[in-house]
Amino acid sequence: MKLVDKFSLWFIGVMIFITPITAYICYYNLEKNINKAEITHLKELNVRMADRLSRGEAVNAIAPKGTNLEVVKLATALPQNRVQVQKTDNLEEDSKGMLSLLTVHSYFDIKGQPYRISSYNYIPSAKQIYSVILDTVFWKLLLIIFCVAITIRLVSQRILHSLRTTIKIIQGFNVKNRVQFSSSGTREFKELNSFLQKMTDKAVDEYCAIKEFSENASHELQTPLAVLRNKVELLSETAIEEEQALLLGDMQNAIEKLSKINRSLTLLAKLENNEYTVSEQIKFCKIAKDVLAAYEDRIEMKNISVRTEIDKGILLKIHPVMADMLMNNLLGNAIRHNVQDGSIELTLTQKQLTVKNTGLPPVMPTEELFQRFKKSNQCSESVGLGLSIVKQICEVSGFSVSYQYRNQQHILQVDFQPRTREEVKLNRQDNRTPALA
Amino acid sequence: MKVLAVEDSREIAVSIRDFLSREGYICELAYGFEEAREKLALFTYDCILLDIMLPDGNGLELLKFIKKEQIQSSVLILSAKDALDDKISGLEGGADDYITKPFHLPELHARLRAIYRRNRLAGSNMVSFNEITLNTDTLEATVNDIVLDITRKEFELLLYLVVNKNRVLSRQSIAAHLWGDYTDNLANFDFVYQHIKNLRKKISAANGADYIATVYGLGYKFNATSA
Repeated sequence: MKLVDKFSLWFIGVMIFITPITAYICYYNLEKNINKAEITHLKELNVRMADRLSRGEAVNAIAPKGTNLEVVKLATALPQNRVQVQKTDNLEEDSKGMLSLLTVHSYFDIKGQPYRISSYNYIPSAKQIYSVILDTVFWKLLLIIFCVAITIRLVSQRILHSLRTTIKIIQGFNVKNRVQFSSSGTREFKELNSFLQKMTDKAVDEYCAIKEFSENASHELQTPLAVLRNKVELLSETAIEEEQALLLGDMQNAIEKLSKINRSLTLLAKLENNEYTVSEQIKFCKIAKDVLAAYEDRIEMKNISVRTEIDKGILLKIHPVMADMLMNNLLGNAIRHNVQDGSIELTLTQKQLTVKNTGLPPVMPTEELFQRFKKSNQCSESVGLGLSIVKQICEVSGFSVSYQYRNQQHILQVDFQPRTREEVKLNRQDNRTPALA
Repeated sequence: MKVLAVEDSREIAVSIRDFLSREGYICELAYGFEEAREKLALFTYDCILLDIMLPDGNGLELLKFIKKEQIQSSVLILSAKDALDDKISGLEGGADDYITKPFHLPELHARLRAIYRRNRLAGSNMVSFNEITLNTDTLEATVNDIVLDITRKEFELLLYLVVNKNRVLSRQSIAAHLWGDYTDNLANFDFVYQHIKNLRKKISAANGADYIATVYGLGYKFNATSA
C-alpha cells in the first residue's frame, strides 16, 4: 500500500471516529439551547399574563381562544413547583414527527386565587434536529474525504518527491559505484538521506577493501603455494626412500587441497562482489555439452549410464565462466557421489536444468549441503565448497536452486525463471488443498 | 632451448631453473621488469616465461615491449591471478599460452615444449621416443609402427609422460594436465590410475617396452633408461 493511501485511510478513519461524537455534541447543544430559549420566552410570557391578571383584566381578554395561552383558575392549592415544563412528541397534527409541543405551566397566586397560566409553542422535534445534523454530517464527511483524497495526492507528489528520488537511487545502487543523495527540506528525509549516504559510502569502501583483500589474498597465497608445490616436486625427484615418498605424497595432497580451497574462496568472494555481471545471453546448451564431454572418460570409467535431454538453442543471461563452473560443479558432484554402474540423468530446458544421479542417501538435510564446508561425508577428500559455489552462481544470476533426495536419486534442480514469492505461495496452497481432502 | 624466466618470486624462479636445467635447457632469471628488459635487449631466447605482477612494472607491458621490438621469442604467461581479463589480454597481446599459479613444474614443461614445437621446430608435430611416436596434430600414437587404439585422454597422458620422461609425475599433476579445471570435485586418483593401466596395457599389446612405472606414494614415472 502506498504511503499516501495509508495516510489517507488513517485520516479518514479518525474522521469517521470523531464525526458521531461531534454530531452528538452538536445535537445535544442545539436541542438544549432551542429548548432553553423557548422555555425562557414562554416563562416571560406567562409572567406578563400574570401581571395583566393581577391588574384585573379578564381571563378571556388575556387568553382568547385560538391563541397559545391558557389561563385556568385552580380549585386546589398551588403546587410546590411553580413552573412546570412539558414536552410532547408525536403530535396528531404533525404526522411526520417534525415538531414537538413545548408547554410551560406557571402557577401564580393572584389576589388569593391560584391560577395556572400555560403557554405553549411548537419547536423542531429532537428527531428533526437529529436528521438535519445527520444530513449535514454525511455531506461534510463526504466532502472532506473527497478533498483529502485529491489534495493529499497532489501534495504528496511534492512532499514525497525527495523520498521517491532516494528510493530510485537505492534501487539502482551497486556496491561498485558511489551514489549521491539529494538534499531535502523535510527533516526526516534529510536524516534518511544522510544516513543512506553514509551507509552506501561505507558499503562502497568496504567493497573496495574486500575486493583488494581477496585479490591480494589470492595472489599472496598462490605464490607461496606455488613455491611449496614446486619444491615438493623437485624434492620428489631426488633419491628418496619409500617412507619419505609417502610423506611427500601426503604433502602434495595437502597442497592440492589448499590450493583448491584458496581458489574456491576467492571465487566465492568474486561472485559475492558481483564481478561476473553480464548483459549478453549465451548458449547454455553448448556449455552443458562441452562440460559433459570433459567428463566423458571418467563417466565411462565408473561405468555410469548417462541420459541427456538437452534442448537446442537455450539462451541464458549468465557469464560464460559462471555457466561453465555451474555445470562443472553439478556434473562433478553427480559423478563423484555416484556409485559404480550408477546413472545420471541430465535434463536441460529453457526453464530449468535438472541433474539426477544415483548415490548413497544423504546423511543430513539436503538443503544444508549448500552451506560452506558442509559435506555429506566429513572426512572425504572434497573441499565442500562446490554446492556453495552453485548456490552463489544461481543467486547472482537470478536463478533458484534446490536439492532433493527422492526414489534413491539425488535431484539438483536449477530454475532459470524462478517464480515470484506470491506465485509460489499460491501454488503451495493449491497443493495443500487436495492433500487435506 | 634457451629460456628467460621473468618472475619476482626468487623461490619460484629458482625452482623453474632447477627443473628446466635438468632437461638441458639454459634458463636465465630476471626478477623484475627492468632486469628483464635489459636481458631481452642483449640476448635472444627461445621462450620467455612471464609473470604478470612484477614489483617494478606489469608483465603485460613487457609483452607489449617484446612485440614492439619484434623479439621472436615465444611467451608463456605465469600468473597468480586466474582472472579472466588477464588471460584474455595476455593472449590478445601476443602470448602463446597462459598458466596459473600454483602450477605443476611438469605441466609448465609440457606447455613450454608444446609452444616450442609449434614456434621453433617449424610446427613439427612429431614427438618420438625409442619405438613410440606421437603425432600431436592427428593425435595418433604408434609403437613399433603399429597405430595404438587410444583415446584422446590416453594420448594426452602419454605425451605428458614422454615429454616429462624420467621425472616423477604426481597424480595431482597428471589430473590437472588431463582435466584442467574439471578436477575439483572428483577423487581423481582412481581415474589417473585407470588411464595409466589402460595405457600400459595398450603399449605392451603393441610389443612396446613397459616404460611407465609406479612411484610408490607419489605417482608415476616414464623410465627412459629401463629396458
